[in-house]
Amino acid sequence: MMDELELLKKDWQKQGQKLPKLTYDELHAMIWKRSSSIVKWIFIISILEFALPQLLYLIPSAKEGMEVYERLGMKYLILAITVLQYSVVFYFIYQFYRRYREISVLDNAKELMHKIIRTRKTVKNYIIFALSFFLLSFLIIAVGILFSDGDSFLHVFKLEEKAVDMSTRQLKFVISGVMIAMGVVCTALLGLIYFLIYGLLLRKLGRNYSELKRLEV
Amino acid sequence: MNKELEHQFITELENNQNIVHKVCSLYTHDRESHNDLFQEITIQLWKAYPKFRGESKFSTWMYRVALNTAITLYRKSKKRVLTQDFDSVIFKIKADEYDPEEEKQLTLMYDAIRQLGDIDKALVFLYLEDKNYSEISETLGISEVNARVKMNRVKTKLRTILNP
Repeated sequence: MMDELELLKKDWQKQGQKLPKLTYDELHAMIWKRSSSIVKWIFIISILEFALPQLLYLIPSAKEGMEVYERLGMKYLILAITVLQYSVVFYFIYQFYRRYREISVLDNAKELMHKIIRTRKTVKNYIIFALSFFLLSFLIIAVGILFSDGDSFLHVFKLEEKAVDMSTRQLKFVISGVMIAMGVVCTALLGLIYFLIYGLLLRKLGRNYSELKRLEV
Repeated sequence: MNKELEHQFITELENNQNIVHKVCSLYTHDRESHNDLFQEITIQLWKAYPKFRGESKFSTWMYRVALNTAITLYRKSKKRVLTQDFDSVIFKIKADEYDPEEEKQLTLMYDAIRQLGDIDKALVFLYLEDKNYSEISETLGISEVNARVKMNRVKTKLRTILNP
């Protein structure tokens, strides 16, 4: 075996003449091209992931949602939760930025992979947090509906004029149930989309990292 | 950015581009991906160049950036056209330098290396480039002992692939 490998080594080192040769100008053109490295993608996708949940609140229906909270008598609770939520969001953004800055191509391979995975994990934790909050807001509305007084509940959902063959109490249960179901489905869907993107992006890197780590055992 | 730095970098890269081409030939299988990876490595080298202070040789520094890009940062583009002729361009062995038996053996070896995982390929590459175990361990971030153990395993793996 050693002989074969030595033979290979000799041949390998002679390969120079057969390799492509780029000119100075070709190389010069290359250095100003855009990188499409995984780190860049992680950065772009993470920024989107931070931004998207925030954009949801700009949609008109979400603003109406605030009104619903108000009428159901949960304004201050929601306000407190929102303040808390944004403090956590900014903490995550700060952490993400710090981690991202740490990534350097000059580290050894293992360290580099470790840092990328850690950066990505910060975003992953943020997503878990954002999704839990998303689900929680549906639950809060559901609970709010159950405990609201009958008239304002009917008013919020514009049910006064409609001839519905159900008691207010039954209606409350039905609408709460629908809210919870919607919350669970939406959260699961968002989670699935996120984990698919995450998985695809880091598949190769994750595989190589675990291979390197296995070496140390 | 600084024109002089730019000129210095491209001159160094031009002289050492073989290293990058060799990494590309190990990690990609067609001309398009080869160029893709070459370009990404060049960009990464250029981005990191201001931090290169000449403590090590330019070429030594290149190994790390090139391998990091190949095994960590690079994402294969989806459109992959297999052009068999390109493989043979890179790994063509001149018949007049070796006897046919050796040539056959070499072709088998290169095919076997192609089948290895990314990390194993990196080990073989560094071995073929005549790097010692301390350099290998520093480039990959594993201990020297483990680099040695792993290298032996890779050799065994190659042997198994060659003689099933």
